[in-house]
Amino acid sequence: METYKLSTWFREYGWRHLVGLTFVVFSMYPILYVLSNSFADFPNLENSKLIPDSFTLKHYQSLYGDPLVPYFKWLFNTYKIASLAGFFNVLLGTFAGYAFARLKFRGRRVGLITLVLIQMFPAFLAFVAIYLLFFQISDIAPFMGLGTHFGLICVYLGGSIGFNSWLIKGFMDTIPESLDEAAKVDGATDSQIFFRIVAPLARPIIVVLFVLTFIGIYSDYILAAVFLKDTNLYTVALGINVVFTDDFSNEWGSIAAASVIAATPIAVLFLFFQKQITGGLTAGSIKG
Amino acid sequence: MKTSTILKYILLGIFNALMFYVVPLAISYESWFFLLIIGIITFLVNITYITNKLKPLKWITPGFIFLISFVLFPAGYNFYVSFTNWQTGHILTKTQVIERLEDLTYSTEEQKGVEFDLYVMQDSNLDFFFLADFDQDNLLFGRAVTSDQFEDIEYATHEPSFKDSNNNITIPESFYLLSGKEQIANSSTLQDLSLLVDKNTRIKLYNISVFGASSGRIFSSQQKYTYDKDSEILYDNRKNVACTLGDRGNFICGGESVDPGWRINVGTENYQRIVDDQRFRGPLSTVAKWTFQFAFFSVVLAFIVGLLLAITLNNEKVRFQKLYRSIYIIPYAIPAFISILVFRGLLNPDFGLVNDWLDPLYQLFNIEPIRWFRTEESSKAAVLLVNTWLGFPYMFLIVTGALQSIPNELIEASKVDGATPRQSFFKITFPLLLVSISPLLIGAFAFNFNNFTLIFLLTGGGPPIVGADVSVGYTDILISFTYNLAVSGGRGVQFGLAAAVTTLIFFLVLIISAISFRYSKRLERVYGNI
Repeated sequence: METYKLSTWFREYGWRHLVGLTFVVFSMYPILYVLSNSFADFPNLENSKLIPDSFTLKHYQSLYGDPLVPYFKWLFNTYKIASLAGFFNVLLGTFAGYAFARLKFRGRRVGLITLVLIQMFPAFLAFVAIYLLFFQISDIAPFMGLGTHFGLICVYLGGSIGFNSWLIKGFMDTIPESLDEAAKVDGATDSQIFFRIVAPLARPIIVVLFVLTFIGIYSDYILAAVFLKDTNLYTVALGINVVFTDDFSNEWGSIAAASVIAATPIAVLFLFFQKQITGGLTAGSIKG
Repeated sequence: MKTSTILKYILLGIFNALMFYVVPLAISYESWFFLLIIGIITFLVNITYITNKLKPLKWITPGFIFLISFVLFPAGYNFYVSFTNWQTGHILTKTQVIERLEDLTYSTEEQKGVEFDLYVMQDSNLDFFFLADFDQDNLLFGRAVTSDQFEDIEYATHEPSFKDSNNNITIPESFYLLSGKEQIANSSTLQDLSLLVDKNTRIKLYNISVFGASSGRIFSSQQKYTYDKDSEILYDNRKNVACTLGDRGNFICGGESVDPGWRINVGTENYQRIVDDQRFRGPLSTVAKWTFQFAFFSVVLAFIVGLLLAITLNNEKVRFQKLYRSIYIIPYAIPAFISILVFRGLLNPDFGLVNDWLDPLYQLFNIEPIRWFRTEESSKAAVLLVNTWLGFPYMFLIVTGALQSIPNELIEASKVDGATPRQSFFKITFPLLLVSISPLLIGAFAFNFNNFTLIFLLTGGGPPIVGADVSVGYTDILISFTYNLAVSGGRGVQFGLAAAVTTLIFFLVLIISAISFRYSKRLERVYGNI
């Protein structure tokens, strides 16, 4: 009787846990591996294993102070670029979204469709042209030419602004228009309605889009690789992959530590906003 | 006036000042393209904010400036570049090339016979200085420099104060005069040094004398090329020939083309190369085929895993659902460039843990360990494995969402009608699932079609295809292949060709999106009434 029960349990639920646990191992193994290795006291990849015999902080300490591997400078650069580009991207996207949602004008539909069509193509596809364009801008306006953060921020700014304003417009459509009508009756201008009513109510989508844009730029490789040549100006994606991987096996401990530091804040941010990010509104369009 | 209005005009002023600062520079570099863009943007911004009639534009313009300048314009520019021969040897414009050619010099040895006394000295920093007693009016003194410093050094000056009334050389206290022996000891350094007299003339140490003063000689260099603007002829002064314009963006001197050349419009040549050139078409079609396979299998594998997990856990009575879900999302939360790096460590053929686990299997079946990343098959397998890891959480999430939105009554009704669970899954659940997520699947396909980060960071496109005319590997997809062409080819950069391939990718993405659109429309029509 007991065995019969167990086998029905297995047929109903047990196999589900079996499959579930298999994929728990599959998804967690690499993560636990890099986490433990970042604290592990072995010299290189050859001696690495999942559970190390002894622990150390030396890999984290090794990230400090080497002028040839300015890891924390890369981190700082990345946060700077991603937050500035993310902020202005969402700000300008909110402006445009507001116009499309609230101001009735000719060409509104065409404008919206154009936005969606443009953003169908990933912006980095034109990287050859972007490179050559900034190669020439370097002569004319060196402060935003090739190799500068300013130029890179401009490129990222253009990258998803259309998409963001489209989503913000969609969200603003759900905010009842009677609110602005009432404000208009009281004599509010467009910008007052925007700053006092519509934008504050659209805050949830604005925050989520900022987080998404931030993560997207943080994780970008190709544009940063095309743009940045000076090691000191690298982003963390570029730095880890260009500088550390020269001596992959021997640098393994530092790579693991650098990976943990670079990944943790992003993972936390992502999991914190997980519900909103994976919710219907951005379905299918996330993460670069 | 209100503060906001004042602020508006201040910002507008700053903007215009910036734009006008750039205009003369753009003109001096002959960047007409650039000038046009600046003109359009400045015009747009000013009419938008000065007049009060274009209210919506006030909100839209700032964002659109960036969208136009850095997304739309590059796309068009990319198309333009694909019709040029912009590549190594043809990077510059014609004006820049002529400027550069006219800067080139060559040495003449006409004054070979003229020799004069040359004194070598050092200052307190141990930098070398030459004093050349050329003639009565030319007691030339200055820093002696190597050829790479020619650009940024001042020319020698006439210094009569270095001679006393008896015509003997006197050296100021701050300098140390090297003896003949000391000059011999430093001869390898000294022979590379020159004292610059003017742009085309320099003095070099010719003969070191241990007893008397060493001697120097004059070397003069002449402008190698002179360009005549009216006849468009470049004269090679050394060989004394006239060079004519070639049709490939070069000057042709006596049958040979002069480097560097400039970029010209070559029409559809780059596209013809894609179609006609056997040595290029071969690798390209290999890459294109793999790009489709890679994108397709990436989506299918991640979808299968995601679907399996979603179905497995989509049962209210399964415990720890929340825990499972939060674990499966974690791979998705980690930036891909980090996960890929970790997998490179795990799959490393010599030291990686994956081969350690598989070792018993290798022993059991007596087979060679997999040389991850070193063979075509193992690299492709690795790419797909890693991409499944990266992609299944997304699929799990969207399938779970879609499953939960399918009304339970449908399944119940089919049960009542006598359908087995299998039947109700394949006849009802799965088709409905496809309706709601097929646009997302096609989106995932398009994303992987251009998944540069994965390929470039995991395998770098490798292992390389031996004997190909361009640098290309078995796991290269179109975008990473293009990147190699444009950025790090190893055989020079080929922007024109890369832009042509990118244009091709643009069209492929367009087709994929169009299919996606039509497919989802059609599915809606079929299943929309359920």
